[in-house]
Amino acid sequence: MDVVSSLVTLFRHSVLRGDARETACPDDQYKPEKKMTIRGLRRLYRTCVGLGLAATALVLPTLPAQAAGDLLVAPTRVVLDGRRGAEVILNNIGSETATYRISLELRRMTTEGRLVDVSPEEANELERAATEMVRYAPRRVTLPPNQPQAIRLGIRTPQNLADGEYRVHLLFRAVPKAVPVTQQDQEAKGFSIALTPIYGVTIPVIIRQGKLTATAAIANARIEEGAEGKTFAFDLSRTGNRSTYGEIRVVKQGHDEPLLMVRGIAVYPEVNGRKVSLPVPAEVAAQLKGPLSIEYYEPQNIGGGLIAKTDLVLR
Amino acid sequence: MSKFIKAAVASSVLAASVMGASAAQAATATAEARANILEELTVTKVAGTDLDFGTIITTGTAEVVTVDTSGVRATCTSVICSGTSDAADFTVSGSNGAAVQLTVPASVTLNGPGGAIMNATLISTALTALDASGNGSFSVGGALSVASAQADGAYSNTFTVTVDYN
Repeated sequence: MDVVSSLVTLFRHSVLRGDARETACPDDQYKPEKKMTIRGLRRLYRTCVGLGLAATALVLPTLPAQAAGDLLVAPTRVVLDGRRGAEVILNNIGSETATYRISLELRRMTTEGRLVDVSPEEANELERAATEMVRYAPRRVTLPPNQPQAIRLGIRTPQNLADGEYRVHLLFRAVPKAVPVTQQDQEAKGFSIALTPIYGVTIPVIIRQGKLTATAAIANARIEEGAEGKTFAFDLSRTGNRSTYGEIRVVKQGHDEPLLMVRGIAVYPEVNGRKVSLPVPAEVAAQLKGPLSIEYYEPQNIGGGLIAKTDLVLR
Repeated sequence: MSKFIKAAVASSVLAASVMGASAAQAATATAEARANILEELTVTKVAGTDLDFGTIITTGTAEVVTVDTSGVRATCTSVICSGTSDAADFTVSGSNGAAVQLTVPASVTLNGPGGAIMNATLISTALTALDASGNGSFSVGGALSVASAQADGAYSNTFTVTVDYN
């Protein structure tokens, strides 16, 4: 049972990561269970199910064919301080051996909430410092199908590093195989076109130096009509010297279940606020009026505390 | 079936780790068992889908050949278009309701025989968040600018599509 043993190895990794996480986020209220509680078991189960996805492909003899270069990355966000490193798991979930390249990218948030690519020449002082601090390995890895690989991350903080939040985005992508140039029949007129997509994932790697704080506020909720249908939009502002990150819940007064929920909304320090725009499914559109509250919570794994909340009446 | 296998795999790992934990507890009185939820993100390209404009035969007049995000090629008026066309389809999975961003280049230059080039603009369907089960998908189509004296031959290049997490 190679599958199980490799998963157990992975599980051990995540336990180690659990340790690292505790100290990596001094300002987070993450409290590990001291004993194996029911909640711990449930977490464990979820972790295993997550990691088990890879194994599923091995166990199931018939799977739909997948393209070379498919990938899984976990976790989707890394926060580091000066003392401990972290690991990110990269798994080849395609059906063929693939080579992946891991690189550091710079992205800047706009007030629209988009992350735009920043070339190394355009990098400001903070971004250059972040790029120079982050150490990671391996940078290129060839993986057979369903083979996970841990990418180790660490930082080397220079002396007298100014307090603040530094950030890079780690890009995982497959290196395309060299496609043999298929010669069309020389007789035929015309041309052939091969546009090969290289697809990948970027996750933020955040470095926090010093004691940092941030608060957020919500304002100007409105319904917008876009090309893709209705969206529920509002302005999420931020003050302080670090980013805020969490999930948005739009709750109708008197109801428990949120009408709209979206996870992983960040406001990075380069902006004082951003627009958040949530697509409104048709079945929710009719209910989205009257007294509502918009709530911004930290993720469950770092405490789940309320960051900001606004009550409003939508007409 | 897939769920069952997942549960089976999960429970076997669970069993292994619980056994590990209890063994550790037997050895030391203060053993701890902890796990971190690893939120994951996967990106896969649907097999057999690629951005494909089909075969184009020039007639001496320039034209922009468009393949929309559902893979349908607009009727060609000046050049002759044949063969099947397709858009590149991708699936994304991760945490339910997770916000994601797509970064697709606006245009790409294809390199052909003898230094000939052709430009294509790319269009993608929108994906801003995964659904309540943690799934999402998007498709990439494009518009190819065929010059009036476009040289025959094979044109190729790559373009990078990324799924970005906040």
